[in-house]
Amino acid sequence: MDDLIREFINPYHVQVLILLGIFLIAALGLHLITGVTGQLSFGHAAFLSIGAYTAALMNLRLDLPFLACLLAGAVVAALAGVLVGFPSMRLTGDYLGIATLGFAEIVRVVFMNLEITGGARGLAGIPRETNLVTVYVLVILTVWAMYRLNHSRFGRALVAIREDEIAAECMGIKSLWYKVGAFAIGSFCAGLAGGLYAHLLQYLNPADFGFARSFEILCFVVLGGLGSIAGAVLGTTILTIAPEMLRFSAEYRMMMYGVLMVLMMIFRPGGLLGGVDLVASFRLLWSRLRNTATPAGGA
Amino acid sequence: MYRRSRITALIITLLFVFGVVAGCGGGGTPTPQAEETIKIGFLGAKTGGHASYGIETLKGMQMAVDDLNAAGGLLGKELAIVEDDHRSTGTEGANVTQKLITEGVVAIVGDPTTGITKIAAEIAQGAGVVLMSAGAVGEGVVEIGDYIYRNTLLDRVGAPAVTKYLAEELGWSKVALVTSTNNDYSVGLSKLFRDSLQVNNVEIVAEQSIQDGDQSFAAQVTALKQNTFDGIIFTGYYTEGGLFMKEVRAQGLDHVMAGGDGLLSSVLWELGEAAVEGSMVYTGFAVDLGGASPKTLEFINKYQAEYGKLPDMFSAQGYDAVMLIADAIVAANSAAPADFKETLKLTADWEGVSGTITFGPDREPIKSPVYLLEVKDGDWAVKAVIPVDM
Amino acid sequence: MDLQTFLQQLLNGITLGSVYALIALGYTMVYGIIKLINFAHGDVYMIGAFVGLTAVVLGADVWLALCAAMLACLIVAVSIERVAYRPLRGSTRLAPLISSIGVSIFIQTLVTLIKGPQPVGFPQVVKNTIYTVGPLHISTVQIVILLVAAGLMVTLQLVIRRTKMGKAMRATSEDLHTAGLMGINVNAVISFTFALGAVMAGAGGVLVGMYFNSVFPLMGVMAGLKAFCAAVVGGIGSVPGAVLGGLFLGVAEVLGVAAGFGSYRDAIAFGLLILVLLIRPAGLLGQPQQRKV
Repeated sequence: MDDLIREFINPYHVQVLILLGIFLIAALGLHLITGVTGQLSFGHAAFLSIGAYTAALMNLRLDLPFLACLLAGAVVAALAGVLVGFPSMRLTGDYLGIATLGFAEIVRVVFMNLEITGGARGLAGIPRETNLVTVYVLVILTVWAMYRLNHSRFGRALVAIREDEIAAECMGIKSLWYKVGAFAIGSFCAGLAGGLYAHLLQYLNPADFGFARSFEILCFVVLGGLGSIAGAVLGTTILTIAPEMLRFSAEYRMMMYGVLMVLMMIFRPGGLLGGVDLVASFRLLWSRLRNTATPAGGA
Repeated sequence: MYRRSRITALIITLLFVFGVVAGCGGGGTPTPQAEETIKIGFLGAKTGGHASYGIETLKGMQMAVDDLNAAGGLLGKELAIVEDDHRSTGTEGANVTQKLITEGVVAIVGDPTTGITKIAAEIAQGAGVVLMSAGAVGEGVVEIGDYIYRNTLLDRVGAPAVTKYLAEELGWSKVALVTSTNNDYSVGLSKLFRDSLQVNNVEIVAEQSIQDGDQSFAAQVTALKQNTFDGIIFTGYYTEGGLFMKEVRAQGLDHVMAGGDGLLSSVLWELGEAAVEGSMVYTGFAVDLGGASPKTLEFINKYQAEYGKLPDMFSAQGYDAVMLIADAIVAANSAAPADFKETLKLTADWEGVSGTITFGPDREPIKSPVYLLEVKDGDWAVKAVIPVDM
Repeated sequence: MDLQTFLQQLLNGITLGSVYALIALGYTMVYGIIKLINFAHGDVYMIGAFVGLTAVVLGADVWLALCAAMLACLIVAVSIERVAYRPLRGSTRLAPLISSIGVSIFIQTLVTLIKGPQPVGFPQVVKNTIYTVGPLHISTVQIVILLVAAGLMVTLQLVIRRTKMGKAMRATSEDLHTAGLMGINVNAVISFTFALGAVMAGAGGVLVGMYFNSVFPLMGVMAGLKAFCAAVVGGIGSVPGAVLGGLFLGVAEVLGVAAGFGSYRDAIAFGLLILVLLIRPAGLLGQPQQRKV
């Protein structure tokens, strides 16, 4: 399968596309936490790193099969997500954001000092297992799961909490439960992405999971449009591909990237696809087209 | 209104998706054809944290390529450098490595740091392209595969040689060890120093940890002051080194420090000023006008004419990396990486501008001599030249 | 650790903390008024340091360099507000945050292009004598930092409490729309707030340049993050809170190192941050948010 892909796309593009897929999964996790539930998280990279290190160590130390490693990484990240979800009982808005940022920095410093993770020297020699097909199967599964979730009882409760937590509580929604649940699922996605990341780059260093990465993922979600799956996908795609596409501009590259971010926010302050449900829009477009195609049908 | 904006958004999405698909679709693997030039890739940062290492390596590489092309190229073909910046990040390091390989390089020189070298090495090994790091000194690099090389002075060669000198010639018996804990190089070097200090019966009376990016070392120095020692072993980089020594002087201590080539930069005394006078650094390359070989002298003069300043370790090693690869290509009479990696392995007593190199049985370089430099009047001066047994 | 070392470390911590406090003031004021976490603030501080450096290299003394840096930062910050934040007024809370991250990336790259990635040494502008007060050592630079920081903070408090503009700022931070209805030129007040914050950050940049002898394009990143945390610990939106938070963070960090946990230093600072937030969710001096039904 991999050979077949290489016939059509060169390895550089494959590399960029795989990274894109990994960030898509991570961004969809944050989409659930911040976009759907409205809980600000500035520490998403921490869950990525927890998943990455867990999966890598499972592989290196216990010699588990790849998918088992991925699952282990995702589960451990989800547990960490539960841990972070509880303070959301007391902290709201930016204060929760800062607490998650603090958590992420602590995780990074711990990985920097642990013997088993190789400390600052990093963890090397992880086998390359991640490939385009695995990643995109998982991306599609994640998108599907998120879509189902949004339209479930659970998802509607999350949206209710985002819109008005007190009103939601009055309606009998136990908001703490749901918020912790959102953190757990969102971190699960991040952990999954982390495991894939570890088995792609084959080398992990805590420095790659600093707060810059957390904010990068937040940018993906917000720029695409909070609360929209298609938005998260579009935002991630643009911001992951842009630095590669801007390579022609050599040293001015990151300047252009910064300007691009400001301009996109100014022209679509609610995010590129803020509040858009792509499936619903398709249905709308489809019914429009059908209506115009059969004018005789109208009275 | 609401509905219209939804549909606009939908159209934007579709256009973008088509754009990406169209952009990627055309990029199939180019059919291999007789290349006019032999391409060598440069992997390193030109912006971001460790940009100066990358920029100097590239300068050295460019000089080597110019020299080779002036002499008629290799196997009748011209040499060319393919380069791109990765901002010192791992993910972009991987992207750039793939990009260089896609553009048909036979060998990659870089990255100057160990972490990104490891990421790139996995990719280069998988693709069958030779990778020669002109800067990575950490452990576990060439073990990644038989296409992976480096031409640096390894700390496991340098640190013991220098420790012996400190103990025997300078009489140090008690030292303070300072490590930058978020710097893989520093952590690794401290480990080597701990071992070699023990072998030479030098006692570590105090240990302090700092972090790359720190600017205030008042707390660590105040804590160090509780002990008596002969000197400081500092394993971090030059920025922190300069500032650290400044704080040491500010708190009234008169010790000097010794460290690895992470300290090797003029920034050390630009930041540390008088406080780093007498501080010592070991390196595999030094501008030693008195004792340099004619080949090295020629390189130094040429570099100075071209860039208006003296070359450093990275420019010299960048130059040597290209020359090592070129000599291997000539010896193999083939620019196919699978062929010339075999001749590269046989390199022994090879004289470069940054010293003599032999690749041992494990393909690790053994470089001689080790230069011990000290800061004198705001410049480097050679304090000792320590030969290493091959 | 004996008492003397402890006091010395405390002094080091207070010096570091007062720099954090100067930067934190900018975060806290802007947040108090428009609820924006201004990520470009750390880079304004970096610009201040570079302008101060250039002024000193051109032969200015400390005070002139400070003034130049403060003026330059004022212009930069007000322009950033005009270009990148004002068009986003009234949109979702996170939109200007992303915009500020974009501005931050832009400024860092621009300065790297102009000045190079290397740290640049800061020439010695103040003759650095070390005074011994009882068991403590204090350097001239430390005295200058403490004096300038204290002076600026007092001036700021006077501006907010005693002037008409200060009154307008307080009114705007209570309720932006109502303030507008009462005849306050809200745009002018917001610009003024950005300007005040930038002046503090600019001064902070020069002081840090002098203290640590080094100025580099990415220096605003970590300092900005720490200052932001300081603002939150103190209670974001509260001016005295920012000062308290800055000092708290500075002292906690330095004492953490002194106690031998150097490699876990950031973890200590952030762990304390989380602890403070869990005990007082709105920070030390912040007003608890009212949940309206």
